Amino acid sequence: MGATFVVTLREAFEASLILGIVYTYLDKIHARDQYRYVTAGGVLGLLASVGLGVVVGFLSGPLLDLGPDLIAAAVIFFAVGLLTWHAWWMQQHARAIRGQVQHRIDEARRTQRLWIVALIAFVGVFREGAETVLFLWGLMAQATSSSGWVNVVGGVAGVGTAAALGWTIFRGGVRLSLPRFFAITTVLIMLLAAGLFSGGVGRLQGLGFLPLTDPLWDTSWLLSDRSVAGSFLGGLVGYRAQPSGFEVGAYLLYLVAAGFLLFGHLFAAPLTNGEPAAPREPVAREQSTRPS
Amino acid sequence: MRRFALLLWTAAVALLALIAATSPARAQTEIALTIEKNRFAPEEIKVKAGAPFVLVITNKDKTPEELDMQQPRIEKVIPAGKTVRLRMPALKAGKYPFVGEYHSDTAKATIVAE
Repeated sequence: MGATFVVTLREAFEASLILGIVYTYLDKIHARDQYRYVTAGGVLGLLASVGLGVVVGFLSGPLLDLGPDLIAAAVIFFAVGLLTWHAWWMQQHARAIRGQVQHRIDEARRTQRLWIVALIAFVGVFREGAETVLFLWGLMAQATSSSGWVNVVGGVAGVGTAAALGWTIFRGGVRLSLPRFFAITTVLIMLLAAGLFSGGVGRLQGLGFLPLTDPLWDTSWLLSDRSVAGSFLGGLVGYRAQPSGFEVGAYLLYLVAAGFLLFGHLFAAPLTNGEPAAPREPVAREQSTRPS
Repeated sequence: MRRFALLLWTAAVALLALIAATSPARAQTEIALTIEKNRFAPEEIKVKAGAPFVLVITNKDKTPEELDMQQPRIEKVIPAGKTVRLRMPALKAGKYPFVGEYHSDTAKATIVAE
């Protein structure tokens, strides 16, 4: 039971983390009525996972040899792009949100395209979804004895625990102030996306599309990828016990690039008490044209 | 937003180009690997270092299995009753352990490149 619990916990943790982030995000911009976008994205992701799990069983030849791997690699990089996009968007608004919070929130709701949130939920679930579905399916097929059913229970409990963790993060996020939530989430997304990006590069190496490089270090004796703690760190910040040189390089490259993109403004312009977006605001314009 | 869309598309096209450029159909050594009763057979696979090869993996079980190698990073699902040709990159001399993730307590094997 323990083994199957860890496998599904690991596979579902990332999805639950991403769902937790986007649900909380909608809550923070007072768009609870738009939860259905995330829910729909997540459900579609689940259906697509089941679909892929079924289809894989019918494939053969080159389609089976390479098809699922290419989909997996494409989904990883697509997820990195989407998450970065979302973080960038949040930063743009975090900079504008000071003072008239409610007004800005309404603006945020108008300008943020909610289908992007739905897409993030879809990709988050779909990424490891097919593997989880196949795993649980296999467990059930083998569950002829009581020990078999214990394994099934372990597997389902793993998914449940992952969902509970996502929910906890969600509850924790709701209490934060909006700018703080945006800042923390941006950093969290950056680390998550850096881990995904580095993992994607590792996959490309494994597929032979990029040359192999030696592992830079091996900390499996300290924290194995397959342990519970290793799994959490893997989902959260992309921890790997034996990362290749390219994987470490990709991780750092992403952090530098995304850090520049998302937080570059902190260093580019000296901070003033005014808000960067102020001149565009009608209220601010009135104030500035008023003779003093 | 448009900048990001452009970036995403560029990345997608670059990825496809990379795949097209690096996928010539070459004759490579084929090594058979069987999954039966949630175990790999053989559990030690000897290959020549520095030469890419193909693992022809047949899953004789009624449940799917996922071959999972840490380094190089490989995750490959082998559906129940199917045969998958897994193209392996050229490995340096050394040991490369892997597991069947769905039955990692029993499904363990190692590739030894010499």
